[in-house]
Amino acid sequence: MSLPAVGEREWSDADAALVAAGAGRRVRPWLRELAANALPAVVGMAAILGAWEAWVRLRDVKAYLVPAPSVVAERLAADPGFFTEEGLKTLEGALLGFGLGAAVAIVLATVMSQSRLLERSIFPIAILIKVTPIVAIAPLLTIWFGFGLLPKVFIAALIVFFPIMVNALIGFRSVNPSALALLESLAANRAEVFLRLRLPSSLPYLFAAFRFSIPLSVIGAVVAEWFSGDRGLGSVIYVANNNLETDTLFAAVFTLALLGVGLYLLTAAVERRVLFWHESTLDLR
Amino acid sequence: MDGRRGALRRVPFSVAQPFPSVHTIRGAARVSNEQHVLIEDVAMTYETKGGRLAALSAIDVGVRRGEFVSFIGPSGCGKSTLLRIVAGLQRPTGGRVRIDGEPPREAQRQKAIGLVFQDPCLLPWRSVSANVSLPLAVNRRPVAVATERLVERVGLAPFSDYYPHQLSGGMQQRVALARALVAAPSLLLMDEPFGALDEITRSAMRYELLRVWRAEAAERGATVLFVTHSVAEAVLLSDRVVVLTPRPGSVAAVLDIDLPRPRDEEIELDAAFLDYVRQLRALLRDRGETT
Repeated sequence: MSLPAVGEREWSDADAALVAAGAGRRVRPWLRELAANALPAVVGMAAILGAWEAWVRLRDVKAYLVPAPSVVAERLAADPGFFTEEGLKTLEGALLGFGLGAAVAIVLATVMSQSRLLERSIFPIAILIKVTPIVAIAPLLTIWFGFGLLPKVFIAALIVFFPIMVNALIGFRSVNPSALALLESLAANRAEVFLRLRLPSSLPYLFAAFRFSIPLSVIGAVVAEWFSGDRGLGSVIYVANNNLETDTLFAAVFTLALLGVGLYLLTAAVERRVLFWHESTLDLR
Repeated sequence: MDGRRGALRRVPFSVAQPFPSVHTIRGAARVSNEQHVLIEDVAMTYETKGGRLAALSAIDVGVRRGEFVSFIGPSGCGKSTLLRIVAGLQRPTGGRVRIDGEPPREAQRQKAIGLVFQDPCLLPWRSVSANVSLPLAVNRRPVAVATERLVERVGLAPFSDYYPHQLSGGMQQRVALARALVAAPSLLLMDEPFGALDEITRSAMRYELLRVWRAEAAERGATVLFVTHSVAEAVLLSDRVVVLTPRPGSVAAVLDIDLPRPRDEEIELDAAFLDYVRQLRALLRDRGETT
């Protein structure tokens, strides 16, 4: 009936095998992973573009109404420098806005996470900002800040601010209660609890917010350009629309889509790096 | 709360050896006569919507330095609450707790408390060794030596750079144990630390705990308060077992476990061991149901 004497080494070896098996599953050539992830998306995209092209050609749809993808591609190929340059202008506004919005959101969430009272006073203001239609204040921002970069940055910041703040706040609060008790039992002060526990715990929530607010920041920049822009894809679309240059319009939209997808993928890649420890990034558990 | 002040404060502990019995000489009295933890008339009542809910009432227990005391009782008897009160994580609504004559908050400041929960609650973004060194990092005290020694002590030296998600439940709990001991606390509080493990791992972990405690803490006279709902576990580990009644928890009985140390698997077949198990079962049955 006696249990066999269980030596620690024995256990370590058994566990080591388990760990090795777990690690082996995750170490996959990234290229194969990319192909596995990207291929279905590419096939789906190609199917839609093919159908679109066929429809336009078969039904002889007027180019000023809906240009065929091939025509849009031609327009892009004819002037790649133009679209790249305008795209970079939009990107500049979007990223600066994202940075500003995220910074303010995280700072406010930090403050609110420390006191319910402050949360009660700040949160309603944040909601007020959230429910204000951007299109309503966009012209106003142009009047205040003039044409160019500033209104773009502000509108992009306004759009990303709320989702990041809410997620950061939830993240700061979503800590393992046992871990919190442990830090408390070590007489850790508030700052230490925040840096060692709350901030890292919030990263999964923050990245979830980053992932969808980065494309949002591009939309914010475009909206701003629509109203005030002399440069950027938003103003390209605006001008093209007025001139019925539908191929240019679609080419700009396509560039925008590319920008959004690129930023999203970049964020996802950074997330995988930073959150290597989080269950959302582990394929098999 | 800088390192130097912490070091100065710790002096009374390290030189608090006027009690010769603190030293471990095989079989000699490992437990000193000095009172280490005093739980005096502790009561806990929660105000709920449905009225007052008494969780603990008039708990009076004195624990000597170096003693291993288990608290056992039916679930909901407030044994975890009691441990949280001793750790200074919760304030009792009645009575008080003294650790070396000071309130638990003072013990916290001196990093004199090591905690292990049922949930290993490792920080997933920290490696094994970084998790173990957490109490030292919070304390801003030199990290390397104690951390390395403890990681090795719990048999995880080859895994010191691994992350929690790469470890099994038993390994995670061993990291938690090493973390609790790394700052050389004088008081180790364990709340059903092996409750979430499978029976085989659980059994191995009990002896692991005894071995590590002996090597790391027993000779300094580190006291352990251990909450469990396993009778065999309580008998196997403890010098004394405190049986609590159902809610509101109060002390139903105290059973001295006079078994030789060090203890190994053989002891589980010992007649004296089995007798203690029988006695404790009877105590739980009688006091547990009738109150």
